[in-house]
This record gives sequence, C-alpha cells and structure tokens, in this order.
Amino acid sequence: MEKSPEQLSSQVSDLPGGEHLRMCYSCGTCVSRCMVRERVEPSYNPRRLIKKAVLDMRDEVFADKTPWLCSACDLCYPSCPQKIHISEILFAIRKLALDAGHTSPLRAPTVDGQTCVACGLCASVCPYKAIALKQVKLFGRETVIAVVDANLCMGCGLCGAQCRSASIGPAEAFSNEHLMDDLWQWLQA
Amino acid sequence: MVDAARHPGIDVRAYTEVERVEGFVGNFKVRLRRKARYVQAERCNGCGECAKSCPIEVPSTFEMGLAPHKAIYVPMSQAVPLVYTVDMDACIHCYKCVEACGKLDAIDFSQEDEIVWEDVGAVIVATGYSHFDPSALEEYGYGRFANVITAMEMERLNNSAGPTAGNLVRPSDMKNPGRLAMINCVGSRDKRFNPWCSNFCCMYAIKNAILLKLYHPGMDITIYYMDIRAPSKGYEEFYDRAREMGVKFIHGRPGQITEDPRTGNLFVHSEDMSLGQALELEYDMVMLNQAAVPQPDVDRLSSILNISQSPGGWFMEYHPKLRPMDSPTDGVFLAGACQGVKDIPASVAQGAAAAARAGRILHSKEWEIEPTVAAIWEDRCVSAQGKRCGFCARACPYGAIEVKKDQPARVFTAKCHGCGGCVAECPNGAATQMHFTDAQILAQIRVLLADKPEGKILAFRCHWCSYGGADLAGTSHFEYTSNERGLRVMCSARMDVSMIHEAFRLGAGAVLYSGCHKQDCHYITGQRVGASRAERMQKQFDKMGMTPGRFRIEWISAAQGDKYARVLNEMQAVLDSVPKEKLLEEIESLRPNMSKHVDKISLIPDVNKALDYADRMKEVMLSAHSSEA
Repeated sequence: MEKSPEQLSSQVSDLPGGEHLRMCYSCGTCVSRCMVRERVEPSYNPRRLIKKAVLDMRDEVFADKTPWLCSACDLCYPSCPQKIHISEILFAIRKLALDAGHTSPLRAPTVDGQTCVACGLCASVCPYKAIALKQVKLFGRETVIAVVDANLCMGCGLCGAQCRSASIGPAEAFSNEHLMDDLWQWLQA
Repeated sequence: MVDAARHPGIDVRAYTEVERVEGFVGNFKVRLRRKARYVQAERCNGCGECAKSCPIEVPSTFEMGLAPHKAIYVPMSQAVPLVYTVDMDACIHCYKCVEACGKLDAIDFSQEDEIVWEDVGAVIVATGYSHFDPSALEEYGYGRFANVITAMEMERLNNSAGPTAGNLVRPSDMKNPGRLAMINCVGSRDKRFNPWCSNFCCMYAIKNAILLKLYHPGMDITIYYMDIRAPSKGYEEFYDRAREMGVKFIHGRPGQITEDPRTGNLFVHSEDMSLGQALELEYDMVMLNQAAVPQPDVDRLSSILNISQSPGGWFMEYHPKLRPMDSPTDGVFLAGACQGVKDIPASVAQGAAAAARAGRILHSKEWEIEPTVAAIWEDRCVSAQGKRCGFCARACPYGAIEVKKDQPARVFTAKCHGCGGCVAECPNGAATQMHFTDAQILAQIRVLLADKPEGKILAFRCHWCSYGGADLAGTSHFEYTSNERGLRVMCSARMDVSMIHEAFRLGAGAVLYSGCHKQDCHYITGQRVGASRAERMQKQFDKMGMTPGRFRIEWISAAQGDKYARVLNEMQAVLDSVPKEKLLEEIESLRPNMSKHVDKISLIPDVNKALDYADRMKEVMLSAHSSEA
C-alpha cells in the first residue's frame, strides 16, 4: 500500500521507535501498568493516544498531555503483547508536536542566573538531558549558566535536589520554599 | 475410546511410540517401540488391587498435580486399555503389588521395551496439542500466588471425578471462592510467546463460567478478554447466555496481578476499554486461560514423518483451504490440533475426513499419481562415480530422492509430486522430468525465439499460478504486449539456469521468471528453490552489465491477471526504451558469457535430436512467413 506522508500515523511510524505503531490492538495492558496514570494523572492513557495516532487524529493527538507526561520508565514495554515500545512512540509523537510548534505543558524549573556558578552538577544528573551550560547575556554582560530546555524537561526535580547553591529548581508547588512550608506545617500539626 | 478398543478392525497400541516410518503411500513400514509396562496386558483385569497395596505416591499428570497416583497406576479411571503400568522412576521394588495381584500373576518386573515393525498403508497423525506454561508471564504470578490457577487445573477442581469431588476450593485455604476472574489470551496473541490465537479459549472460558454459574449462582464471575471470538454455529448464542446468567465481561487485557499476602486474595489490574478507565478489582481466585502450543516432541515427529511445520511448529497441511487433512507426504494425513489449534467439532470433522482419505488408499490395489514425475539418468549421476553431490535430494520438498554414496540418486516415484526442482538443480543434467524434459523445453525455447528474438519477451510461467494469471489476463481482456511468448513448467523450481541463459544466448529481448507467491507454492518449498536461483541469476546478469529490466522476477497468482498484463507492458517499455542497435550490441556482447552456461546441454540425452527437430520447424515457420510477405 502506498503511504501518504501527510498522515500522522505514517509520520509516526517513519520515525525511529515509531515503527510498531500500527501493531497496537488496544488491549490496555500498558494503561494498567502505568505509574503516571496511577500516581500523577488519572486521565493519562497511552492506549488512547496510540489509537488516536493510528486514526490520524492530528489535533487531538497534539492537544493530548499524554506524550509529555511519559517518563519512559518502560514498565509497560516488557508487558506489551505486541512488543511495542510505547515510550518511544510517545517520544516520536512529542517530536512531531514540537516540529508542529507545540510546546510542553509541563512547568520547567527556573534558573537563578545571579547565583548559578555553572558547576554543571544539574546537567550531569538530568535523566532527560534537558539542561546544558550556555553563554547568555545577563544584566548586560556575557556569562555562563545552566539553561533548561522546557520541551525536554519532565519536571522530576533532580536538578533542584542536586544544586549546591539553590539556583535551580521546580517552580511553584514544588519549589524549595513551598516544600519547607509544607514540612513546617506538617511538623507543627 | 472403549468402542474403538472393542472394534474388531481397530488395534489400539497404547504406551507405544513410533520411532521410524519408511516407504511410501500404501507401503509404509513403521517401527514401534512398545514400552515396558511391567504388567502383562493380557493377564491384567484392571481390578486395582496392586495400586491399593502400593506405598508410593507420585503427583498425577492427569490431575494436573493436584492429586497423587501410586507408583503402579492407570492415568485415569476410564483409561483404555484398562491395564496398570509401573512407574519405574518411582517404584521402590517392595513387590507388594506382586503379592496383591496373587493368582492373576500379571506383574512382570523382567519386562523390556519391545521393537516391532508393522506394514501399514496410510498414517494419520493426531497427536494433539500441549499447554503453555503461564509462569513465563511473571506479571500474572502463576506459581507465586497460590490462588492463580490454570484452566486445566480448574477443569479438575470443578469435576465430580476430580480430586475434590467437584467441590471448587481455592488452593491457599481450601475455601470456596466467591469472586472469580478468568483471563483470556494468556501467552497467546502475544508476540513475546505465541503470536497465534488459540481458537477455543473464548468459548472455553464462557463454558467454564456457565458451568460454575449453574452450580454456584451466587458466584461473581468476570472474564477479561481482548476480543470475544465466537464464530461458529451457536457460539454467539452461548456468549449471550453467559451474559444473561450474570457473567461479567471486561474488555481489557490485565497488565498485572498482585496478591494480598494476608488473605491470599488477588487484585487484577486492567483497563476497561469501554469505560476508558483503569480498574483494580479484588478476587478470591483467578483462572488463566493459557495458550495452546504444539506438543514438545513435535520436531522429532516431523522429521520421522518428513512433514514440514508451519510457523510455531504445527504440522503443515497440503493446502490450507482445499486439503487441510492431507499432509504434503502422500498417505500421511493430519487430524486435530496437531495441524493447528482447533476446537472439538473441527477436530472431529478433520479426523473423519482423514479417515475417509486413508480408507481410499486401503481399499485400492493401485494408486494413481501425476505423470510428470522425476527420473534419473543413472549413467550421468556423479554420485554413482563416488562424488559427493546431493543437490537433487536437497531441492526435493517431499524427501522423494535418496542419495547414497557410490550409487546413483534414486527417485521414489510414488513420493514424487513432479515440481521438477531436482531436475533444474542437478548440475550435471542427470535428472529429468517426464513431459518436461530439458530436450522438450529447450526445443520450445528455440521455436518461440525463432523470429526476431530481440523483440520478444520469453515468459516462464508456473503451472499453478502465473500461468493461470496469464490466462486470466486473456479472458479478462487485459491488453498486454503481443511480443510475449509464454512457456509453461510445473513450478518455478523447474526453471533451469541453462534455459534462461539459452534464451538470452538465442538473443531474447527480455525474459520473465514468474511463479506462485511464496505462501501459495503448490510444492511446499518449490518456489523458494526457484526464487533463490533466480536471484542468483539476477546478480550475475547485473554484473555482466545487462540493461536492468531485461531479466525480471515476478510472483503472480492465478487471480492477478492485471499484474501479469502490467508486468509485461512494463517489460515492453524497457525494450522500447533501448535503441535497437544498442540492444543488438548488448545481446552480441553477452552471448559468449551466456554460451558458457549452456555448453553442456547438448550432452543431455535427446537434446540434440529435439533441437534438430526445432530447427527444422523454425525453417518451415520462417519460410511460411517470408512467402506470406
């Protein structure tokens, strides 16, 4: 059969890791194994996302949060009866979404340029290779600090835990201040 | 079984293994090993006094290890023949059984395996299937969690003749389970283990659910499924009945089972597709419907009987739609799940069909076969001169050729189906095929390329597929080039290297090498023999610098008339795209190369005579043409 390159399913299966997309027969094994669904986001559903991709539902696929939430823990992969590497398919979809101009809905950590000493500890521990040391212009002069690629970041917070100068870390609810506040309240209660 | 054992025309040989099968249709010789029972069958009356006195207990395979049997035992109470057997691995030689047997004196510890040769006219293979061990699926915890059981264990637990007398209990605490889950497709439809659908498990789960609901209406039964496959008569209605009775169905394959170690209860984690929601439900017991897999000794049997295997290890049938009960070896038939997973009605139908087929052989004095069989020119065979060769035997899909050292290759005519693969593979022109001899085919090539060969496309077609495809192109009025000249052989395996080279030597513009698709070959592996040869030639021609497209390999089924016409039109386009002088130049420059591969054909018997005749025909034809002009 001739493949039409415009179809989303063809685009995904042409990317490395996306080859087995069409083999999915929707059994739901991956959903029942998924820690993200169980602990983070009840609406998270890789099976449904794959089905949407197979049916070429481009807008729905790109609007879905699922590809951004997958942490590639690969609990689902060894259980899949069709031997589909689900996280790789989700990463292929994520790449297509980025190419189409979509951005990650996750909040990436912020870097305080004034205190960052560019030691590189955060970049070395990041499991998603989302942090790099880059030269930026700060207050009118060139300096090297850690820079986070928001589209690669999964928001795990390892960088914040590793940083010796509290210069990098998740925003808002998981910031150092928030966590300390929570801890105080919990100790006082 | 009892009826079969009592039938005067049926001789049941239990506890006997087939070790060798020789010969051919109507004339098989079978070597049987009658294993020592250590009990004389003609004296044993099956009273069971011996087993009562035996002090040793062994887990019973028939009871799935849920109950023991003694070291002297029958596998089940309805065994046929009802003769006891001593399990020598377990026996401690206390001889209490000999005492118990008393005057009957049936027990004989000196017995040994006995080898018998039998003459038989036909063989029916009905060796059935085996069960997949679900402990390989670690996520379901079979073997770790006491209350996860297999369907066969359920069969024994829910059977009034079983170890619990039909009282369904769960293994961890012997309590009656109130909530039961059944999981389908355990190890089947699973690329990690067995890719096939095990056919009967859907209906089997439903059967078990209905049975349990009849005995225990209050029991909460849930079946986890991916698709319910209920395609035969009455099956869908059976599925309806289960739902009416209150059996629950969850559309989703569980990803994991976890256990509460205090209660032994199980949690099944799955997604319900219809709800689009993840579920984690608690059960007292879980039954796994494990996959059906081929018997563990299927490879040994397949080499004994010379039957090839389909992917997975099932025995290969002669034709998947038209001859499902025939094996590719004449006189050997297949019945039941050994040929592929099937349920009871399908097995019975196939068994009856196989019996009818075998009956036809047993009742005929003579057996007709196709006349296009292979033969060997014994004086030309190099094996007779002490050289190692055996190309013919390796090409034969039927094991019909035997090559022994210092002897000419021998064709068992009754086993030959006439593909001609051996003839084309023989490097010395020592094999021939009746009605498709080298002489006949080479003469045809010469006449077909008599006039202006550079403008002709010589199409080699196999009898079963591409010839039918060409036929269909004609009857469907698909237009294709009139420069095509067709030549029929039985199989693409017969399309000899020397024929293709001879066609190019004679100046053919293009040559088509066509046959069945790989999976449709009427001679099991014939197409593969032909395909690998054609690919070898293609590489050779590319190296010689032949214009791409002048030699073409295409697999065309009898239903692909349109493809046949398209391929030939494309080949004509290739010829049209090369200027005539350049084409003639190429033919001329390749001719010495082509001649090298055909210089031996004149040594093959009858070839010169046939070619002389062809040349005379050619002259007559050409003079008729010129007088017309």
